[in-house]
Amino acid sequence: MPEVVMKNITMRWGNVIAADDVNLKIQDGEYVTILGPSGCGKTTLVRIIAGILEQTEGEVYIDGKSMANIPTEERDIGYVFQNIALFPHLDVIGNVSYGPRVRSVDKTDWEKISHKYLELVKLLDKMEMFPSELCGGEQQKVSLARALSTGARLLLLDEPLSALDARVRVDLRYDLRRLVKSLGLTTLHVTHDQEEAMSVSDRIVLMRSGKIIESDTPENVYMHPKSIFAANFIGETNLLEGVVKSVDEVSTTVELRDGSLIDAPPTNVNNGDPVVVSVRPENVFPAAAGLHAVVSSVTFVGTYLRVMTEADSDDRVEFDVPTTSEREYNKGDDVHLTLDKRSAIVYARTPGGIGEATRLE
Amino acid sequence: MPDIRLEDVHKHYDGIKAADGLDFSVKDGEYVCLLGPTGAGKTTALRIIAGLIDPDSGRVLFDGEDVTAVEPEDRRAVLLSQTYSLFPQMTVAENILFGPIIRNWPEEARNKTLANMLDMVRLTRRSDAYPRELSGGMQQRTALARALASGAQVLLLDEPLRALDARLRISLRHDLRSLAKSLKITTIHVTHDQDEALVMADRIAVIRNGRVLQMDTPMEVFDRPVSPFVANFVGQSNFFQGSVVRANGNVEVRDEQGRAVFARAMEVEMGEKVVVGIKVGNTEITKEWEGYLQGVVERILFEGRNLFIDVMVSGLGRFSSRMPAGKKGEFAVGDKVSIRWAPDKATVFTMRDRSLDDELRVE
Repeated sequence: MPEVVMKNITMRWGNVIAADDVNLKIQDGEYVTILGPSGCGKTTLVRIIAGILEQTEGEVYIDGKSMANIPTEERDIGYVFQNIALFPHLDVIGNVSYGPRVRSVDKTDWEKISHKYLELVKLLDKMEMFPSELCGGEQQKVSLARALSTGARLLLLDEPLSALDARVRVDLRYDLRRLVKSLGLTTLHVTHDQEEAMSVSDRIVLMRSGKIIESDTPENVYMHPKSIFAANFIGETNLLEGVVKSVDEVSTTVELRDGSLIDAPPTNVNNGDPVVVSVRPENVFPAAAGLHAVVSSVTFVGTYLRVMTEADSDDRVEFDVPTTSEREYNKGDDVHLTLDKRSAIVYARTPGGIGEATRLE
Repeated sequence: MPDIRLEDVHKHYDGIKAADGLDFSVKDGEYVCLLGPTGAGKTTALRIIAGLIDPDSGRVLFDGEDVTAVEPEDRRAVLLSQTYSLFPQMTVAENILFGPIIRNWPEEARNKTLANMLDMVRLTRRSDAYPRELSGGMQQRTALARALASGAQVLLLDEPLRALDARLRISLRHDLRSLAKSLKITTIHVTHDQDEALVMADRIAVIRNGRVLQMDTPMEVFDRPVSPFVANFVGQSNFFQGSVVRANGNVEVRDEQGRAVFARAMEVEMGEKVVVGIKVGNTEITKEWEGYLQGVVERILFEGRNLFIDVMVSGLGRFSSRMPAGKKGEFAVGDKVSIRWAPDKATVFTMRDRSLDDELRVE
């Protein structure tokens, strides 16, 4: 069963560094997502593992074996791309049986194998249709069945859902995870969509500018992000600027620009340090007293309303209220806000401030 | 700025009804999203409004005036495609000035427009850059500025955010809407993304098979969908099939096994075969034995802000519930739970001829 190790992988294109000394280990049977904005180097990593690209420095090991000089076709990998690349002149069964036939498995075997995977993606009844007769979601399921029918135990998925409609994408996420988990595959899935990463992965690896900046379970990455970038990229968050007023074993107190004080858990910062406090909209609550703000807009988001405000501290603060809330919020309303202290996170302010820390492109 | 009206517009291609009696109005200054799956006819509708496609029958009116036969360039409407189509050999400023120059605007007016547009899309410092030197978001803003620089009064957006990263898309939703609103421009925005439509639109028109199924505020479309398809396309829903056993006030629906659920009051007949739809976000699960349906927790997914829990109800299949992540720890896989909801959040639909699966199909 495959375990993948990337050791000190660097990839340079002239002056551009697409991967900057990356070290990553993917356990056997693990579902890992590499998440990050366009150009962060995530696709480069997958292509290096597949052997489509050769790294400038470093080494890839699959099951402890160095992949140096081992061509793609001998790495035993299933690969699914964003752009659905089925053979248009072959029907579904022709596409799915392609791998086994190339490996000259005899007919009863390749039929059995193909049927097995078509059943798993629930497309047995469409095996005689051509790709052009299928919708996008079905085509991508055929791509998956084709990638798996070679018997690959390591599955590489490069933005497999990006070309599909939003609603189809949401349904396929669950199917995808269910399928690869039931087969016990090791999976590396590349995406720029944090919601997708959150719902399919055992572990999320967040990349920015060729570097891994976070590697943890979806829950830890969401609840305890290690950087302002991660806090903002994975889910939405409010970022408030201030200065540390006091810090002890119980809490960190931060003074915002209007002089109001907010409490957060203890942090490794010093009195007087400029800091940024991150608190997610679901952890901000209207109250009788607290940070004063004025409502700038109210948006219906389905099961809740998102209220956006301009706080006296010059920060933009958003919070959520249930659609069943008794109180109505309108543009121009005065509100006082409190933050859930336990879920607030204090970060040292980095050069360039919030704008640079959260830059997506 | 104009209001727009489509009157019984039809367009067929080789037996495919891309527009099958489109009939709706967009008010002056309104931001409307046309939402539907791929192939629903959203882009066809947009291109008919732009004048790029001639309808087989029906009329398009701008401010009450029939423009069906008016050339695209004389319609005061500009269509921005998914791929932006910027001129690669021109800088940001040259792209923006393209319209004003071919229209022979005086230099002073051109320069003023350019400065305003650059400021509006926050690209003043990149005015000399070429498209290939810009990020996706910047290219999108350049295309928007170019579209608006010609003095268009109707903005037609075809999946304007689709080519961008998911996180950037979320950030830009608010900017794009604010920009259109501040210019008081009438905007029609085509999207397949229901979250995008919910947060951006004044009203959403849900389109399927060339027809508008429902056109209403996001809240109405979400909370009071007109069909199971709308209920499941705009936010996911759970469904329960049965017959009406009480039609006074909240409707009670019972299935053959005697399980009963409630939904908000609607006009239905006693004994009528119906489907009850409830949003997963409005579906509660509890360990008390008091809900409508009993089941076993099959899977718990952490989604960040929310938990997504699947419950297997014997004989009925999977019901899902989305709840704040703060409830984590209250439920575990294998737990016996009960499912309930506030009746006024559930909607009753009359069973059509087709099966529920066919009704819900999104592709």
